[in-house]
Amino acid sequence: MSSKLSEFTKGIIKDNPTYVQVLGMCPTLATTTSAKNGLGMGLAATAVLVMSNVVISAIRKTVPEKIRIPIFITVIATFVTIVDLLMHAFTYDLWKTLGLFIPLIVVNCIIMGRAEAYASKHGVVDSLLDGLGMGVGFTLSLVLLGSIRELFGNGTIFDITIWGKAFNMFVMILPPGAYLTLGLLAALFAAISINKEERAKKVAQAQQAQQTQQKAGEVK
Amino acid sequence: MSKSKNNNSKSEMWKLSLTLMVYTLIAGVLLALVYQYTQSRIAEAELGNVISSMAFLLTDENGNEIVPLDEVKKTVISKRSEMGKVLYEDGVGSVLSPVYEFQTEDAKYYIVSGFAVGYGGNVVTMAAFKLDESVGELSLKAIKVLEYSQETPGLGAKIAEPFVQERFYPISESGLKAGLKVDKDAGKQNLEPEEAKQEGVVKVSDVMTGATITPRAVVNSLNTMYKFMREKHLGGGQ
Repeated sequence: MSSKLSEFTKGIIKDNPTYVQVLGMCPTLATTTSAKNGLGMGLAATAVLVMSNVVISAIRKTVPEKIRIPIFITVIATFVTIVDLLMHAFTYDLWKTLGLFIPLIVVNCIIMGRAEAYASKHGVVDSLLDGLGMGVGFTLSLVLLGSIRELFGNGTIFDITIWGKAFNMFVMILPPGAYLTLGLLAALFAAISINKEERAKKVAQAQQAQQTQQKAGEVK
Repeated sequence: MSKSKNNNSKSEMWKLSLTLMVYTLIAGVLLALVYQYTQSRIAEAELGNVISSMAFLLTDENGNEIVPLDEVKKTVISKRSEMGKVLYEDGVGSVLSPVYEFQTEDAKYYIVSGFAVGYGGNVVTMAAFKLDESVGELSLKAIKVLEYSQETPGLGAKIAEPFVQERFYPISESGLKAGLKVDKDAGKQNLEPEEAKQEGVVKVSDVMTGATITPRAVVNSLNTMYKFMREKHLGGGQ
């Protein structure tokens, strides 16, 4: 059970697609001008990621090695078009807001990356959890990035005013703001994981030292 | 030996091609089914968008309907087959068919749609022009930007906000005649929004900082619509 849970949770922090795997940079940089846009893009990508992961995992044994990439792309593009059509028909306003993002999902390399690296080698349930976890990780990353950019660029988060316009740095909404924020957040994630590793190392060293001391005591 | 190798690779190629074909066929059939299922809903949603935009344009400052909603619906549905054809082009913008006309007691209203190129594609705008028949003045009553999906989120796509669109109207005929401009192009960023309108200038530099191309597209399409209305639709042989 815990291994199943870790299939899901690994995408959120440990293998976070945006800050750790550094995948899907194009939609990440382009669509995170606000928290709402980040959330919309994240949810749409998650829907496609889960569906494509499940289908690719289910058909993995019938897919010849040499043409796996065109087949995966066919599956992904089909799901993106289906999501686009359904949203156009049933959630017109949301479809209008997300506009350009939806077709962009086809070229989101997280989806292709998970299809190739995970779904084509694992079972349906694991692939579903992997897709869901990576999707949630991607969505949270985009919302975090979008919130920071919206806050510093516009003084709001999810359109809710946090502070006045006095602190606004317009560059945060422009493309350089995306690079700056992404760089700082990636550095933060890297610092956290380095810190964790060092702490783990220290603990291991301390344990080893203790063991050797104990052994030495026994010998005496 | 080499012949059998050749045959093998040929048969493998056939096998791969057929497999790929089967997958694309399944995808094609699936998409056709979804399209079939959503087609009428999409058309309805688009039509609903046109009707609600038009109802918005035909509402006065106090929120009262200038033209009853039922009449708007009937008119839109009756002209459904004419939708989306290009009626007029002037090299900058284009006007789309149909042009809807509504006669009220004190004036005649024309709803015109048109587009011009924005940052990532066409920006489609619907505009209400009011013809005051007693003095023959054609003014811009209100606008609604319908299609901006290719504009950058957070920048050009801000054109969707009602408070941004309000900067484009109302404009009297004297302002339209000179050709509508965004404040940056007119070099009049210091004007207040209402002052700017009187001079045929749309002040957006404060609400759409960093995105001039999208409002310029809206302004261009409005100029084309005005030209079309004056020269073709109303002017005729004048």
